[in-house]
Amino acid sequence: MYEGSGVGGLIVLSLIALMIVFALFFPLAFFYSMLFGGFHQSRMFKKLLIREKKVSETLGGDNIHTLSTPINLQKISQTGLVMANISVGPSWWQLFLGGIKSFFGGQIQSFDKILAYGRNEVMQRLREQALGEGWNEVINVRVETSMVMNKVKGGQQNKMGTLEFVAYGTGIR
Amino acid sequence: MTSNTETIPGFTITKSLGVATGSTVRAKHIGKDILAGLKNIVGGELTAYTELLMEARTEALGRMMMDAAQRGANAVVNIRFATSSVAGGAAELFAYGTAVVVTAEG
Repeated sequence: MYEGSGVGGLIVLSLIALMIVFALFFPLAFFYSMLFGGFHQSRMFKKLLIREKKVSETLGGDNIHTLSTPINLQKISQTGLVMANISVGPSWWQLFLGGIKSFFGGQIQSFDKILAYGRNEVMQRLREQALGEGWNEVINVRVETSMVMNKVKGGQQNKMGTLEFVAYGTGIR
Repeated sequence: MTSNTETIPGFTITKSLGVATGSTVRAKHIGKDILAGLKNIVGGELTAYTELLMEARTEALGRMMMDAAQRGANAVVNIRFATSSVAGGAAELFAYGTAVVVTAEG
């Protein structure tokens, strides 16, 4: 009898502790997102710009394009599909701002940044992938967007706002 | 050879063997789902999802190639991808294209 109530007390105590941790964690995480999210994202952008510059310097131009026929190459011996992807999501703070903004409509600037980053990054990955696999040129490049990690539960779709970008094209050499 | 163009420049399509398809359904285990949610605090790339989807897409493409090979094709042209979310964080990746026999233009 006595032991049983001791265990029960322990469970209640640990539950309360867990509740306190959760109650503290979310506001803190949100605050952290507000302070450092923008900083984190601009750092990613800077890294991307450096990589883009490096590739364009080594190639002296761009090796991907959306035409269905090659521009520089005359004789093709081999083709193959090249693809790259990235999944990105806005920070909690941006999600919150976007939620408020979507009441009134208009341009939602907080999502602009992360979507632009995703698209540019996926194109850059395609360039690097093509270079790594030894393709001279990538033709017919397409960029697609999808929301694959939707959690379809009770009508709430894609609460985290995660998007996936895919870029693919035909590598030729 | 694979291509997402309708014809392969420098090659002639001599025979069409129908549509080759390949698909796969993948889901993330819940631990990685939660970690991705935490990563999302500051926004940016969710590496776990990126890897999962790339793996799945490669798998779908591989199955499509197998299908094409069984039909006796030596190339697949006009490849397309389709994605759909089935339920509860599971994703279906579908790749399809036209299985053809090509010969190099003399």
